[in-house]
Amino acid sequence: MTAMLVLDILLVLSLLSLATAALATNDARRSVILFMAFGLVLALAWGRLLAPDVALAEAAIGAGLSGALLLTAVRDQAHRALRSSRKPVHERGRANLRVTLEWTVTLLCIALAGLLAWALAQAFDRAPKDTLAQAVSANLAISGVSNPVTAVLLNFRAYDTLLELAVLLTAALGIFALGPARPGHRAAGPVFDGLARWLVPALILTAGYLLWVGAHAPGGAFQAGATLAAAAVVLRLAGRRSVGLPTGHTLHVAMVAGVSMFLAVGLGLLVLGRPFLGYPPAWAGGLILLIETAAMLAIAATLVLAFFGGRPTPAPGVAEKTS
Amino acid sequence: MAETLIWLIAMPMAGAVATLLLPRQSTPIACVTAVAASLVAGTLLYAVSEQGSLSYEIGGWSAGLGIALRADGLSALLLMMTALVMLASSVYAGTYFTKAAARARFWPLWLLLWTSLNALLLSGDLFNLYVTLELLGLSAVALASFGGKFAAVQAALRYLLLGLLGSMMFLAGVSLIYAGYGTLDLATLTLAVEPEPVAWTALALMSAGLLLKTALFPLHFWLPPAHASASAPVSAVLSALVVKVAFYLLVRLWMDVFADLVTPAAAGLLGVMGAAAILWGSWQALRTERLKLLAAWSTVAQLGYLFLFFPVLLALPPGPARDTAFGGLVILALTHGLAKAGLFLAIGIIQQRSGHDRINELNGTAQRLPATTFAIALAGVALIGLPPSGAFLGKWQLLAGSFASGQWLWILVTIAGSLLAAAYIFRVLGHAFGNQSYPRHSVTIAREEWPALILTTLAVAGLGLAGAPVWNLLESGA
Repeated sequence: MTAMLVLDILLVLSLLSLATAALATNDARRSVILFMAFGLVLALAWGRLLAPDVALAEAAIGAGLSGALLLTAVRDQAHRALRSSRKPVHERGRANLRVTLEWTVTLLCIALAGLLAWALAQAFDRAPKDTLAQAVSANLAISGVSNPVTAVLLNFRAYDTLLELAVLLTAALGIFALGPARPGHRAAGPVFDGLARWLVPALILTAGYLLWVGAHAPGGAFQAGATLAAAAVVLRLAGRRSVGLPTGHTLHVAMVAGVSMFLAVGLGLLVLGRPFLGYPPAWAGGLILLIETAAMLAIAATLVLAFFGGRPTPAPGVAEKTS
Repeated sequence: MAETLIWLIAMPMAGAVATLLLPRQSTPIACVTAVAASLVAGTLLYAVSEQGSLSYEIGGWSAGLGIALRADGLSALLLMMTALVMLASSVYAGTYFTKAAARARFWPLWLLLWTSLNALLLSGDLFNLYVTLELLGLSAVALASFGGKFAAVQAALRYLLLGLLGSMMFLAGVSLIYAGYGTLDLATLTLAVEPEPVAWTALALMSAGLLLKTALFPLHFWLPPAHASASAPVSAVLSALVVKVAFYLLVRLWMDVFADLVTPAAAGLLGVMGAAAILWGSWQALRTERLKLLAAWSTVAQLGYLFLFFPVLLALPPGPARDTAFGGLVILALTHGLAKAGLFLAIGIIQQRSGHDRINELNGTAQRLPATTFAIALAGVALIGLPPSGAFLGKWQLLAGSFASGQWLWILVTIAGSLLAAAYIFRVLGHAFGNQSYPRHSVTIAREEWPALILTTLAVAGLGLAGAPVWNLLESGA
C-alpha cells in the first residue's frame, strides 16, 4: 500500500514539475520534448487509475503523434525565423507587456484549477453515482463485445464516435486547405534505415493486434489507427516519400471510410426496421469489427495527413519546389 | 415520425461523403441534399406542431446508457431557420464559386457544417453536445479560411484557438456534472440538478465557453475579422447560424436544465453585457468603412438584444407573461438569422460586381442592382426592428417585459440601439443611390439575387405578419 502511495506521489510530482518546466522554458524545441515526457508520465498515471484504454491512447496520440507534429512545427518555425530576423522597435515595452500577460494567464489558470479541484471535491462528497457503470455491465452481454470501453464507444454511445469520425474528416479537409504537403526528409543513414525496416512491420502487426483485441481487452480503432500512423511517421522520417498514403481519389476513400461504414451500417439497420445503429445482438460483434476496421484506416489516414501538413502530391519533386 | 430526427443528421453527413467521393457531380449532389434536408426539416416542424415534442433513442438504448435526440418547438423552429438559410446560401454558393474545383472542395465542408448544426439542435446529451460543438467549430474554421487570403487564414486561426478554449471550458463543466450527478442525459439532469456548488461551477464553466463562442461583448473581438474576411455564403452562415446555435445552447441550459440555479444577479450580468454589445457593436458598425465589417459588427449588436431577454424573462412570473416574452426572444433570433444571411448574400453580390465593398463608393448601386439594394433595405428594416418585421414583434415583447418589470435601463438601450441601426443602414442606402437611369428589369441576375431577396422578405413579411404560429408552436412543443 505504502509503495503504491510513494509511486503515486512520485507520479504527481513529476507531472507537476514536467508541466512547469515545459511552460517555463523559452526554447520551443525543449518545451515540446518536455511536453512529450509529460504525456508519457500522464499515460502511466492513467494506468494507475485503472484506465488502460486511455493510457494507450495518451501514449500513442498525446505523447507520440502530437509530439511529432509539434516538433515538425517548431522546425518550420525555426526556418522562418532565420529568414526574417528583424528586431521589433519597442522591444522593451513589448517584453514587459509579455511578462505581465504571462503572469495574468498563469494566475487565471491557477484560479481555474483551484475552482475545479474544489468543485470536484464537492462532487465526490455526494453519494456515489455508479448507475451508468451498472447499466453498462448489465447490457454488456448483448453488446457484442466484452470490453466495456469498446461497448460504450461502438455500441451504447456509437453516435458520439460517428460524430468524432466526422470531426476527423473535417480536420483532414482543413489540412487540404493548407496547400501541398511539406517536403519530405532526407534519406536516413544505415542505422536508422535498418531500425525502420524492423520497426515498421512490428508497428503494423501491433496495429492489427490492437484492432482485434479491442473486442475483449484494452485496444480498438483509435489506438490501432495511431499505431499505424506511427509506422508511417517512422517511414517518413527515414526518407520515404509516399509512406503508403494514397493520393487523389483513393485518399478520399480512405478519409471517409469510417464515417461511410458507420452510416451504411446505421442506415442499413434503419431500413431493415431496427433503430439507427441498433445492432441485433447476434451480429453486433461482427458489425463492430467491420466499423472499427474502416475507422482505423480513416484515423490513420487523417493522422498521417496531419504529419504531412498538406495535400500529398502524386508526382515526386513537386512539393519540394512549391514550398 | 421520430425517424425524421436521425435523418436530419444522417442526410447532410451522407451528402458530405458523396460530394467528396464524386467531385464532378458535387454541385447537383449538394443541391439535392439541401432540398431533401429542408423538406425533412419542414416535416419535423409540422410533426412537432401536431404531436408536441419528439424524441429518438439512438441504437434503441434508453437515454442515459445511450444518447437520445429530442426536438421541441424551439429546436424545430431553429432547425427550420437553419434549413432555409443553408438552402438559400447553397443556391448562391453554386454561382459564387465560379471554378468547379473550388466548388468540389467547398461542398463537403459545407454539408459537414450543416450536419453539426442539426446535430447540436437535436442533441439531448451533454457530452454529445460537446462533440457537436467540436464538429461545428472545426467545420466553421475550415470554411472561414476557405478562399485562402492571408487575412482570412489569420482570422480563422484566431477563431480556431478561441473556439478550442471555449470547447475546453464547456468540457470541464460537462465532466463536473458527470462527477456530481452520474448522468449526461439532459432530461434526467433537469430533474436531478440542485442549487449547490458543483452545479454552479459547472454552469459557470459551460456558460463561459458558450459566451466565447456566441461572441457576447467583451468576448466578441474575434467575430468581426473572422466574419468579414470569409467568403459571402460562409459569412452568411457564420453570422446567421453558427453564433446562434451556441446562444440556443445557453438558452437551453439557463431556462431549462439549470433553471433553478439562475439568480437575478447572474441574468442581470448577461443583460449588462448584452447592453454593452448593442451600443458598442452599433457604434462600430456606424463608423466602419466596409460593408462586410458593418454587417459583422451589426451581428455583435443584434446578439446583445437576445441577451437583454435574460433579466427580463427572469423578472416576469412563470406563466403566460413569461411565455409571451420568450416567444419574442425566439422570433427576434429567427428574424436576425434570415435577415443577416440575406444581408451578407446581397453584400457578396455587390462585392463581386463592383470588386470592392467600400461604403463611400457604392454610388449608383441602386441603379445597377435594384433587387440587391432592395434586399439590403429589407434586411435593414429587420435589423432596425421596423414593422412589419419579426424583429418589431420581438423588440415589442422586450419593451413590454421591461416595462412590466420596471427595468428602465433595457428600454433606453433598445431605443438607442435601434436609432444607431437606422443610422448605419441609411448611411449604406444613402450612398447606394446615385444620379443614373434605372434598368428595365429590377432583378438583373436572378440566380444570385433571389436567395437574398427571399430570405429578407421572409424576415420582414413572413415572420412579421405571420408570427402567431411561432408562439403556438413553442406552446405545443413545450
